[in-house]
Amino acid sequence: MVSMRFIAKRLLLLVPVLFGVATLVFAILQLSPGNPARAIAGQRASEEFVRQIERELGLNDPIWVQYGRFLVETVQLDLGDSYTVQRGTPVRTILVNKLPITLELALYGQLIGILLGIPFGIISAVKQDTLTDHLTRVGALSGISIPIFWSGPLVILLFAQILGWLPTSGRIDAQRFAIEGITGLITVDTFVQGIQATLASGFAVSNFAAFFSAVSHMILPAATIGIYSMALISRMMRSSMLEVIRQDYIRTARAKGQGAKITLMKHGLRNALIPVITVIGIQFGSLLGGAVLTETVFAIGGIGTLLVEAINVRDYPVVQGTVLVFAFLFTLVNLGVDIAYSALDPRIQQ
Amino acid sequence: MALGAWLRPRIRLLATAGAVGVVAGALALLALATVRTPEFASTQTFAVGALVLGFAVLGWSGSVLAGSAVETLQSHLDTDTDWTEQDSRRAMARLVGFGAGVMVGVSVATALLT
Repeated sequence: MVSMRFIAKRLLLLVPVLFGVATLVFAILQLSPGNPARAIAGQRASEEFVRQIERELGLNDPIWVQYGRFLVETVQLDLGDSYTVQRGTPVRTILVNKLPITLELALYGQLIGILLGIPFGIISAVKQDTLTDHLTRVGALSGISIPIFWSGPLVILLFAQILGWLPTSGRIDAQRFAIEGITGLITVDTFVQGIQATLASGFAVSNFAAFFSAVSHMILPAATIGIYSMALISRMMRSSMLEVIRQDYIRTARAKGQGAKITLMKHGLRNALIPVITVIGIQFGSLLGGAVLTETVFAIGGIGTLLVEAINVRDYPVVQGTVLVFAFLFTLVNLGVDIAYSALDPRIQQ
Repeated sequence: MALGAWLRPRIRLLATAGAVGVVAGALALLALATVRTPEFASTQTFAVGALVLGFAVLGWSGSVLAGSAVETLQSHLDTDTDWTEQDSRRAMARLVGFGAGVMVGVSVATALLT
């Protein structure tokens, strides 16, 4: 059982993380060249107009005043309005619309990584030094080494261009389906709509056509992002499992006549999973980072694409808001991992 | 352990680094102000201080959050280094003090200068 004190302590750590990220982003944006007022006004605007925008945005105030104001507004969850990306729209609204897209991608990527990485790691450990082990290790090493900007176009070339099995870009066949946003997660929304249509008019496969379209659009980007995750998890699982199966209690269980599979899955897996779970948490941050590249390659307009666009046009509030949300998500996932970790090994709470 | 005894070394760590930061920030501001405008010097030096503070706070909390996981990862992947969560936390605490010191030093020096 995980104690509330342990969870509260971990939740308190959110405060320095978010403060650190906010300060870091503020500093980086201040140090980067260019003038946001000029970016808003346009290159041909008069100096007077640029000065007026600077006054309106408080860019002429001393920097510590700007910093203090920024921190106070952030604490009040006021992330400001977008300067240029979606001029005048609150950053919070933009993030609410874009975040589910990236989250969905990262979650499916992580799911692929976990569902494939853990079994591959176990097989590799059990069949140590056989051809299967060597192949799995080479696969894992390749997965870690291949960057997303290369593996992305490669899977598009193979599965979309040459084989023609899957679509190359977007989230759904937009010409055929109009999607009503419920959760923002397109696979969930289309599935719910399919269920609603089924309840209204009886079951027909065509009710789920939008869902199938959303899933087929998700496979390639999620697989691209999941390859890296799978490789790391499989490698960690292998080494962790190898360590566990050499322990005395495993040998004892086998000596008592327990079957190899039961010993491995009942006694070995639980302990071997502990370091793997911590890696999954750290890894989620990489997945969010990887989502920036994946979204670009597969033309999915998520929060990663938004961040790149906002940096290009120096839209300070959007950049700050996006990075803060990334940090918040990363910390929350780590909290979840800590809870899972301490549930597996209660000594950690002490 | 008594609270005072627990706090004293930690405060000393932050305060000494902070004092160095205040001096460094003020000196950097003065040096930069001689070659560029005081506003530019103030903005840039403060931002560098904030950069150090932000990085350090993030590094500190990252060490607390994921330090043990990183240590486990390193040992499992056979990439043993001497990196420990405790060392990392102490180093980051020093940087927190320094960065905050620079920000304070710049603010005070700018107020006195203008």
